[in-house]
Amino acid sequence: MKVLFFFFWIFIINITFSQTNIFLIGRTLGEKVIATGDTLRVFGFAPNLGAHPPIPGPLIEANQGDSVHIDFWNVSQLHHHTIHLHGLDVNQANDGVPMLSFSVDHMDHGWYHFKAPHAGTYLYHCHVGSTIHLQAGMYGPIIIRPSDGSNTTWDGGYPFDTETMLFMSEFDTFWHTDSILDHEHDTTAVYDPLEIPPYTPDYFLINGLSDQQLKDSVELLSITNYENYFRLVNIGYCSNKVIFPSALSAEIIDSDGRPLPTIETTDTIEIYPGERYGVLAKSAIPINDSIQIQYFDMMTGELKNTQYVSVEITDANKLSEFGDLTELTLVPNPVDNELSVNFNLLKKIPLSYRITSYDGKLIFAKNLPNFDLGKNSFKINTSSLKSGRYLMSLINHKNIVSKKFIKL
Amino acid sequence: MRRLFLIHFLIISCGVYSATVNKTIYINAGQMTCFDGNQMFYNAFNESTVFNNQNTQLSIQVGDSLLLKIINNDSIIHGFDIKWTNGLNQIIPSGDSSEIIFSSQEVGAFIYFDPLNYPNNAYVGLSGIIAVGINTNSYFWNIKDHKLSWNDTIGNGNQVNWLSYYPDYFTINGKSNPNINLDTSARVVGNIGDTILIFMANTGQAEHSIHFHGYHCEIISSSFNANHVGRSKDTFPIKVMESYVLKLIPHQTGEYPVHDHNLLAITGGGLYPFGMFLTILIQ
Repeated sequence: MKVLFFFFWIFIINITFSQTNIFLIGRTLGEKVIATGDTLRVFGFAPNLGAHPPIPGPLIEANQGDSVHIDFWNVSQLHHHTIHLHGLDVNQANDGVPMLSFSVDHMDHGWYHFKAPHAGTYLYHCHVGSTIHLQAGMYGPIIIRPSDGSNTTWDGGYPFDTETMLFMSEFDTFWHTDSILDHEHDTTAVYDPLEIPPYTPDYFLINGLSDQQLKDSVELLSITNYENYFRLVNIGYCSNKVIFPSALSAEIIDSDGRPLPTIETTDTIEIYPGERYGVLAKSAIPINDSIQIQYFDMMTGELKNTQYVSVEITDANKLSEFGDLTELTLVPNPVDNELSVNFNLLKKIPLSYRITSYDGKLIFAKNLPNFDLGKNSFKINTSSLKSGRYLMSLINHKNIVSKKFIKL
Repeated sequence: MRRLFLIHFLIISCGVYSATVNKTIYINAGQMTCFDGNQMFYNAFNESTVFNNQNTQLSIQVGDSLLLKIINNDSIIHGFDIKWTNGLNQIIPSGDSSEIIFSSQEVGAFIYFDPLNYPNNAYVGLSGIIAVGINTNSYFWNIKDHKLSWNDTIGNGNQVNWLSYYPDYFTINGKSNPNINLDTSARVVGNIGDTILIFMANTGQAEHSIHFHGYHCEIISSSFNANHVGRSKDTFPIKVMESYVLKLIPHQTGEYPVHDHNLLAITGGGLYPFGMFLTILIQ
């Protein structure tokens, strides 16, 4: 009877809380193209052996209550690494601090386990020689969604229509030279002492990009009265001021994975290293503006740089007039390998489409052939997309109409 | 010459329950020895005429009065003030003393400091914490940054250009990793379910961002942003001369780091990880 009860209990747990399995590889020979077109050597977390580690690393996503298991492999000669699950309040064994839990040596692997706690925005990063390894690129975002995976901020929280991740950091290109990156490790010491050079960042990043790289890659494309949810993260060594256009009526609703007890209405949000903020922003009017992200030296308070994220809010009422394009539907949704885009054209217009991830990254874009008047459709191969949420946008010059879809 | 200044922030309506705490502190000059043996000019408010680079932690209960005598044991003129108070701003010549009375009706971490030649005198050490509303599980983090070569410059009466500040040592209560963990007033040791209060102030000249592993803490007092009270966070930005009182109720056992997430500040003398980094131990 006890055995039967045990298996019944395991069955109940498995259907109540699903499991999320993540595979990450720590690399130290990554390449990153910066705004000048030059390439920097970076460290990072790659999703597979054939890929350069993206900066930031792959998004880890789970629903509240899920059991998450990260299989972390280290393929980086000379270096050991860890994964610190920043803000998730995991137990000591999974905390990723080398002298208090464990580190993973070259050609070895380790498991990190946690149960996804509160819905919210978190981080992961290496905690070995962290001043060097973070600057080198070993960080990435974690999103814990509500238990039902819906587009709400947390269980019983605020629903939203779009989601944009703004993940701030910097590059000091001198720190990305072999003499700094290939530091010695004293594995016999309780602490692994490292020489740290002076920090003079020369690239100021949002989602790993800066300056002209941000155009068409990190932006908000939305329509009036949509609830736009921003996840702000700072993993750099500067403090940031994020200044929203006043028409967006920005409200801070959460920080560090917890709802604020009182919503704070403000256009300007200060965010310091390690912090995260959730911001809801909505415009009643069409706007074509930008969000300013300022970077400050924390020692002197000096403004070092400003980056801009384009914001384009289109009038929802005019969407039906957009090239006389109506009745846009995406089927199936959720989709596995092929998405069918259906719409009605009342006027012949040139069209293109693009797929963007919810954290604002452009996945792909393509011009479309001319369509006849009336009912039309075309298909998009979605087999290469990772599981998650995306926006499909049809574009005619400055007019845009978007629909959400989920890749299984 | 003795001067008496009464500072009352709010009327103490239940005076019968309040107590008066008498304390004397001395302004001393000396040398702070860093973890690597380097030394720098330093001042501190100490409980005796013997120099110690850890400023005296002063604490009272809400509504209590602190009768504080400050004796200038240094060879130059100094001052005394408490952040966010009006009209205090004492001037204390060498060998002289001053007395103040301080009370607060709210829990808070108040910064006492030398306002003369600001920020230089406060920066070279003359800035500490008055904790109001302590319990039996209270800890004190006086966060500071230091640029070794500048301390001697200031100690010699010369000026520095704060626009080019790039500190090279980072301490809590005058100690850096791993020595911070030896300071029982700084290192949190507790049990699951304890109500632990951390009185934290940034008396340095750089901004910091203090991150907790393993736990979120609730802000129960914030000197700069009263509307932040009640927020539960794992990372706390702290500006120059800002202070917080944080409440930690541990839900799990273990040893977890707390450190500045401006990772430049977990270095000392250019070496990682000998800066602002300590651990919490929950049994």
